[in-house]
Amino acid sequence: MKEEKKITFKGLKDIPPLSISMGTTLWNKTGTWRYLKPIYSSKTPPCNEACPAGNDIEAMMVLVKEGKFREAWKLIKEENPFPGVCGRVCFHPCESSCNRKEYDEALSIQAIERFVADSHFKIDQEKPVGYLKPKERVAIIGSGPAGLTCAYHLVRMGYGVTVFESYSSPGGILRIGIPEYRLPRSILDREISEIESLGVEIRTNSQIGKDVSFDDLKAFQAIFIAVGAHQSRRLGVEGEGLEGVMSGLEFLRRVKEKEKISIGKRVVVIGGGNVAVDVARSAWRLGAKVQMVCLESSEEMPAFFEEVSETEAEGIEIIPSAMPIRITQERGRLKKVDFIKVKLAEPKSDGSLNPLPIPKTEFTLKADSVITAIGEVPDLSFLPQEVPIEKGFIKTDEMGFVHPKGYFAGGDVINPHHTVAGAIGSGKRAALAIHGYFRGEWQKGKLRIALVGEKGTLSLKKYFHPPEGEANPPVIHFHEINLDYFEHQDRVRIRKIPVENRKGGFKEIYSSLDQEEALKEAARCFNCGVCNGCDTCWVYCPDLAVKKKDNHYEIDYDYCKGCGICFEECPRSAIILKEEGR
Amino acid sequence: MKMVMEGSHAVSHGVLLSRVEVIAAYPITPQTHIVERLSELCASGQLKAKFLKVESEHSAMASCIGASAVGARAFTATSSQGIALMHELLHWASGARLPIVMANVSRALGAPWNIWCDQIDSLSQRDTGWLQFYCESSQEALDTMIQAFKISEKISLPSMVVLDAFYLSHTFEPVDIPDQERVDRFLPPFEPKFRLDPKDAKSFSSLTAPDTFTEMRYRIQQAMESAKSVILEVEREFHKIFGRSYGLVEAYRCEEAELVVVTSGTVTSTCREVIDQYRHEGKRIGLLKIRTFRPFPAEAIRENLRGVPKIAVIDRNLSFGMGGIFAEELRSVLCNEPERPLVFSYVAGLGGRDITQNTLSNVIEYSLEAEQPREDTLWPDLRI
Repeated sequence: MKEEKKITFKGLKDIPPLSISMGTTLWNKTGTWRYLKPIYSSKTPPCNEACPAGNDIEAMMVLVKEGKFREAWKLIKEENPFPGVCGRVCFHPCESSCNRKEYDEALSIQAIERFVADSHFKIDQEKPVGYLKPKERVAIIGSGPAGLTCAYHLVRMGYGVTVFESYSSPGGILRIGIPEYRLPRSILDREISEIESLGVEIRTNSQIGKDVSFDDLKAFQAIFIAVGAHQSRRLGVEGEGLEGVMSGLEFLRRVKEKEKISIGKRVVVIGGGNVAVDVARSAWRLGAKVQMVCLESSEEMPAFFEEVSETEAEGIEIIPSAMPIRITQERGRLKKVDFIKVKLAEPKSDGSLNPLPIPKTEFTLKADSVITAIGEVPDLSFLPQEVPIEKGFIKTDEMGFVHPKGYFAGGDVINPHHTVAGAIGSGKRAALAIHGYFRGEWQKGKLRIALVGEKGTLSLKKYFHPPEGEANPPVIHFHEINLDYFEHQDRVRIRKIPVENRKGGFKEIYSSLDQEEALKEAARCFNCGVCNGCDTCWVYCPDLAVKKKDNHYEIDYDYCKGCGICFEECPRSAIILKEEGR
Repeated sequence: MKMVMEGSHAVSHGVLLSRVEVIAAYPITPQTHIVERLSELCASGQLKAKFLKVESEHSAMASCIGASAVGARAFTATSSQGIALMHELLHWASGARLPIVMANVSRALGAPWNIWCDQIDSLSQRDTGWLQFYCESSQEALDTMIQAFKISEKISLPSMVVLDAFYLSHTFEPVDIPDQERVDRFLPPFEPKFRLDPKDAKSFSSLTAPDTFTEMRYRIQQAMESAKSVILEVEREFHKIFGRSYGLVEAYRCEEAELVVVTSGTVTSTCREVIDQYRHEGKRIGLLKIRTFRPFPAEAIRENLRGVPKIAVIDRNLSFGMGGIFAEELRSVLCNEPERPLVFSYVAGLGGRDITQNTLSNVIEYSLEAEQPREDTLWPDLRI
């Protein structure tokens, strides 16, 4: 087609009233001017990278914002069988890494997860992953968050799974360690029964090495060891064996099981971690005057900040930087604990704390009972010789692999930093590793496609349905967000019962968000690095080269001049600009 | 239906009745009430228009240009510094032949800062190719809004409806609100002759060479000239339906006049009172209200002033180094007349100073007495 045609106007009558081309200008493919090419390319949101359980948080926010709560629930359940648990007890590293915290306040991700979980949806019985119908069966030792997560994912892949639990009911630390006021039993029961409903067999009262021998597990083609860390470390001070001194986990279990327990009026809790905090707050709820003493300074305490501040709000005194010297009794009853103030030196070679007593700083606390929670270690005595153990924990490679006989391990038996989300993540990792082990796909390359970011987080969705484009795109930073598109808005305030109403009971402290709050909070999400269909590019493209296609956009490169306005304006940096021909 | 409302809201009502589709505006005193009411009407759904909150008047006009180019009926309102900021786009709107309608509430331009009435803002836009209507009352403002869309869409040029700041914009009067159904009959939906449409991609307003540019400018001038008859034709139709009309100019008690006072805007109403008093005393004083400033109604003015020996032009504006702008325009359309009146040019009421009946009496007395104006520009209320 000849596009150039000289038009000669003979006079006023020929001339149009305004300057307008006589024919279409579509022949003019302005895309040839382009030297920079905009491309829709999702990045990794920092929350997704930070979530040890591998939840697709960003996508969940889009669904919640649109009121698609059931879809949001299904999305979480793709990665994590415990949203109701995590929505309550997770230490939410997602929120600590949320880009929005640089702008006003981090998104209240945990509260939204809890809202979605508390919407009580019925679990799908279909096995969505549906890879094949494998013959292999897997034994899982321990029904805590690691073991049950592994079981959940394996059963969804089609494997036969049997979980062995030494205790009379499943849940591990979630069942016997986390107090009712943080995690009501009903929530745990519901999420475990969902796992069972998918075909996971849980054998309770089946301690390996006692009720069942490790050798009996040879009928299974793989074994996942996830017995947790249920042995309390010993104080190693005089009087530790006296009546009235007990371990924190034992105390928590008895409180949780509503066993009769007598702790007296004054309780001294020794330890500065999350278990110590749970113990102190539980003892306070039983009516005792509680003092908590730990080696670390207030800043160094390993317990989560929010838990510590609630502890103090409840009137529990926390005495930092002190070490017990002896526990004494009088007339057959526990009387007092002597302490000395300490300074922490460089940790010892095994990584443990190294307190240096400060002379002449001794002090004494009266106590009817002493509860110790200075760290929990796994009991690995039931394991066969070939399982390598290092510093009290099972040694694994980065995928949780232990031994070529098909042994894998996860949760607190491999990690001294006990977190529920971490355990869930390692259970999922083991499920993927076991799957890879059976299918002969266990080259790192194959498993790497499940990686979300650089912190080892894995996504099952990514493993089975790899997204188009870059497998693990870079994490998006705050400075890449176009703040012009966001108004300042405070984070939702979560309702909690006042301190004066907490004593004497174990009622859950925090409430779920209501629907309006959840919708509003989810809408605060920047959706870092992921297109959420906001239309900004479509509105701004001066060449109308951005086309809407169903629920995404496409660029008509015949006309895109590469001006970069879409790239500049995109509120969430979901568009990249690439030099042509490179 | 009669309602008591301020001039600003009369304009808003005119926009509502005209079924405007896009409103883009930036707030500025004393125009704000107009778009404030429109934003409420849009929010309530009573007016099904897209209300664009923009970051400047320049963007407001740019938005109106875009909206009008795709065939939407577009409106904006502004004042003073706001219309000055729009300036380059006012040229663009007329050059692209887009029938945008704007309300301008006349206010002085700084420095020094002044928010009160002065016609310099709209008159500074004299040469931008916009039609300009100067309104005397709220009723006229409402009616002119509706007429302006019709006129603009007929001739493909934009219109400016001008209201005096506060005297008109913030003063309450009874206003007859026409029925929507009758307005719809008078003003059908906008059907552009050329429409920006991605389905029929065309190049608009692209580089135009010297061989056609003059002709395109000539076309605009032709359209402006034709506007005079179009305005009258539209007015006749309006009168038939609504019983009101205003004309390009209005001669008030000009019979056998030995002096005609020439006014625009709200001072006209004050002057009517003064004229009535003089006529009551038997003195032959008349009034000529100029409603349409662009196109300048040369023929109507010449006709109305034929045989009048003297005119006194009241200018609420000033072209520095020349004088009152209306006077200047009047001189230029009269200068070729074989028998032309002597022109007394008065600059008064700048920056919101009241033009009282007393001011006007002084103007009339001096104009009657003096054989020649002692200066080209006279300042009747100057504090010396």
